[in-house]
Amino acid sequence: MNCELYDDLLDDYVDGVRASDQRSDEPFAAFEQHLAGCTRCQALVADLTRIRLAASALDEHIPPPRLWARIASSIDEQQRQPWWQRQLGGTFSAWVPAAVAASIALLLVAGGWNAWQQRRIETPQQVAAPQPETESVPAEQHYERAIAGLQRLAQAQNGALDPETRAVLTKNLAVIDRAIDESRAALDQEPASALAQESLLEALETKVALLQETVALATDSGGPEETAGPARELNQ
Amino acid sequence: MRTADLELAARCRAGDAGAFEELYRQHARRLFSLVVRMIGSVDDAEDLLQEVFLQAYRKLSGFRGDSALGTWLYRLTMNHCLDHLRARQVRMNRATESLDEEGAEEPVAPAPVVPAAVSRLDLERAINMLPDGAKAVFLLHDVEGFEHREIAQILGISEGTSKSQVHKARLKLRMILRR
Repeated sequence: MNCELYDDLLDDYVDGVRASDQRSDEPFAAFEQHLAGCTRCQALVADLTRIRLAASALDEHIPPPRLWARIASSIDEQQRQPWWQRQLGGTFSAWVPAAVAASIALLLVAGGWNAWQQRRIETPQQVAAPQPETESVPAEQHYERAIAGLQRLAQAQNGALDPETRAVLTKNLAVIDRAIDESRAALDQEPASALAQESLLEALETKVALLQETVALATDSGGPEETAGPARELNQ
Repeated sequence: MRTADLELAARCRAGDAGAFEELYRQHARRLFSLVVRMIGSVDDAEDLLQEVFLQAYRKLSGFRGDSALGTWLYRLTMNHCLDHLRARQVRMNRATESLDEEGAEEPVAPAPVVPAAVSRLDLERAINMLPDGAKAVFLLHDVEGFEHREIAQILGISEGTSKSQVHKARLKLRMILRR
């Protein structure tokens, strides 16, 4: 069917550049004529269009508010550096503390090794396997504990919020809960997926932040008759 | 647009406290989304975008307005992303070359093979499987909506390379997303 003759036009066709690009209509007319009789190219155009549309509709990842705070604080720090250090820039300021830290770490390791060797020589029979004080707890559990605690606080103070704020917060929590459920379902399907794990942790982190905001709003308002300020609605 | 960019850059250089925050607010959301998808990690994306904006702050004196401030920021961001990925030993050039050799894998199908409604998670996962070079161009074109001319500026490649990488990325995604 000579499909390969139209490879070059296929993506332009999917992108809809024909009108804006002022291309000659002739090649496009030939492609459309070919397309009308070629199921292979019809399927390809349909699939690539679906991919393009789905890609353009992907949600934004929202940077956490702490990111700007971190950047602003680093800039502030940079401005307080002496002029010569600013002139030398990141290269100097990055490797000097790193080198100092590495040296200190090396000294500590060496010192620790010597002390351990010394003790081993002095008391050869006392060999005990080190017992970890605590098991490492997955991040998800930390978030869940924080959520449970905050939920108790939020419920206890729920009456302090005005109905409008309460409604927005409830709606936002429902959006986040749906995101958490979706992420858990994805993780169930692919337990090793880093993306699904991060999605879940991100959703849990958002829920913690929202509950913290709820508690803060309730604390600030002090009673049901006061306005607790606007709550921002989350995008679905 | 360019005048506004130059003015904002000049205000930042002059130490206007609010100007750099304005620059951040204008671009952070789109850049953060791009970085998360490029490197596949929200935590790393946060650190990386912080580095990008700190570098932008230091380098603003070199901004001459030859391109839009946004394009300039995207270039810094993509350079950081690709350096980060190289450091993780995912070699962009080799990956892209291997994609060049995969022309034969396109399914010859008499009907569409991609579901009519592609789920967000499936698509995110599939994008994450693309070779770095194709992923970079696909994200800039199909997700961020840049034209090939702009992508060529951002990534320092030709428009032809940008077009062929988008085509290859879409074919690869079609393979991954097939029902």
